[in-house]
Amino acid sequence: MTDHGQPQVTGGSSGIGKCVAIECYKQGAFITLIARNENKLLQTKKEIEKYSVNDKQVVLCISVDVSKDYGHVENVLKQAQEKLGPVDMLVNCAGTSITGKFEDLEMNCFENLMAVNYLGSVYPSHAVIPTMKERRMGRIVFVSSQAGQLGLFGYTAYSPTKFALRGLAEALQMEVKPYNIYITVAYPPDTDTPGFAEESKTKPLETKLISETSSVCQAEQVARIIVKDAIMVCMGIFRIVGLFYLGSFDSIVRRCMIQREKSESTDKTE
Amino acid sequence: MTDHGQPQVTGGSSGIGKCVAIECYKQGAFITLIARNENKLLQTKKEIEKYSVNDKQVVLCISVDVSKDYGHVENVLKQAQEKLGPVDMLVNCAGTSITGKFEDLEMNCFENLMAVNYLGSVYPSHAVIPTMKERRMGRIVFVSSQAGQLGLFGYTAYSPTKFALRGLAEALQMEVKPYNIYITVAYPPDTDTPGFAEESKTKPLETKLISETSSVCQAEQVARIIVKDAIQGNFNSYIGSDGYMLSILTSGMSPVTSITEGLQQMVCMGIFRIVGLFYLGSFDSIVRRCMIQREKSESTDKTE
Repeated sequence: MTDHGQPQVTGGSSGIGKCVAIECYKQGAFITLIARNENKLLQTKKEIEKYSVNDKQVVLCISVDVSKDYGHVENVLKQAQEKLGPVDMLVNCAGTSITGKFEDLEMNCFENLMAVNYLGSVYPSHAVIPTMKERRMGRIVFVSSQAGQLGLFGYTAYSPTKFALRGLAEALQMEVKPYNIYITVAYPPDTDTPGFAEESKTKPLETKLISETSSVCQAEQVARIIVKDAIMVCMGIFRIVGLFYLGSFDSIVRRCMIQREKSESTDKTE
Repeated sequence: MTDHGQPQVTGGSSGIGKCVAIECYKQGAFITLIARNENKLLQTKKEIEKYSVNDKQVVLCISVDVSKDYGHVENVLKQAQEKLGPVDMLVNCAGTSITGKFEDLEMNCFENLMAVNYLGSVYPSHAVIPTMKERRMGRIVFVSSQAGQLGLFGYTAYSPTKFALRGLAEALQMEVKPYNIYITVAYPPDTDTPGFAEESKTKPLETKLISETSSVCQAEQVARIIVKDAIQGNFNSYIGSDGYMLSILTSGMSPVTSITEGLQQMVCMGIFRIVGLFYLGSFDSIVRRCMIQREKSESTDKTE
């Protein structure tokens, strides 16, 4: 891990971010946790420090909103570099999710999700890239989602933000490859985190039913794979399988619509 | 065209949007042009009216910024419906582009592009969807880009916005399919428009060299294909043979509109993936070559 400097993890105070930080810490790294809430940061820091493997390890906490005020984000990340040394790995876990039918979602959902999930990954990445390019080494991880690989019912505000991260990663990778900087895009499935619990509160029925085709993952497992991937023909057949899945999702949606309309007309006749 | 009501075209005063409006108008439709600049709108209206096919046709102009103030956007689109009747087709062409190396781009580029290209398509779509769902019919077109199918050097602020449109389209299509509303995502290549000329001003060398692997299209041709695919309700709209390959290669979990489309994807994906990897390899060498040349010339400057 020390080959890859001091990882900075945004959204590091909970969920996948916290588990990524723990995973890196277990491997001897000096962590920088970045999140908004100072109390949660300090609590998480205590939790992480139990996993230390040597006396020198440090967990630095930085309280900042990575989606607002680029100048501020840039400053705090530079200060972290002055304390712990140059960043060679940035893991962008800061993100949240809102589900609901397109016409039921408020416009600020679209705006806020894009700000947190997309700009909140752009700002820290933009702050660390110049140093990484100078040092000719680096890793940047973007945490997308399976909903960033296919659009699903109920995710019209969320999927675009996760698709956007992939577009950013592909374009950025092409720019930084000659500098030995590697971009990783993670596509976790539904993962057991506070964010997921929050998302589930307003989830439409169709979305719940469709989500049941895959199971909820543990955050620790997701984090382990993300860290591993950051550090090292079948298509045609999968397309057929994919099309069958799409077909089944479409029937779920149609069935729910028909049922809803039946119950609405029954209500009217009563 | 009258089967599909009165098309509303955002970004309708220039570029692809204008050509889409003309294409619909030639088929007898009553057009609503939506853009910011009133003068450009009126000029474009005069240009479009030359193509009228009957006496009743109307071109309605609405001046609004579709990426700011949803309430306002919702109101003006409702007023348009009151004048011309319900909208059955919305074509989201409003969009712009900025290129440059990631570390050279200002943050407001990322913010503004996402606002115009993404929110500027979300707002009008959100305004028209309820009516379309009530009437159980509709077409919504999102104009993405080939840069929305693959990320390219210089497009770190632009590609995400166009990828986002695809995510929106896929999720939305799944929601509205039982209501007979069809979403189309168009993936034009570099197209000869004022927007493209603007983008070219600050284009890095690597981006220019990479773009030379495909040619610049005419906006009229792009518009013709978009309108055809929208009317047919095709989810994927591509232009040219490069477009065909990219569309199959990146079809991922997108819906298909016909069995033939699905079969072509199944059969060709693997081969196109190999071709695609060769392209990626060549783009990577272009980037590496440019970097090496730049560093050579920098060290030559220093020794002088």
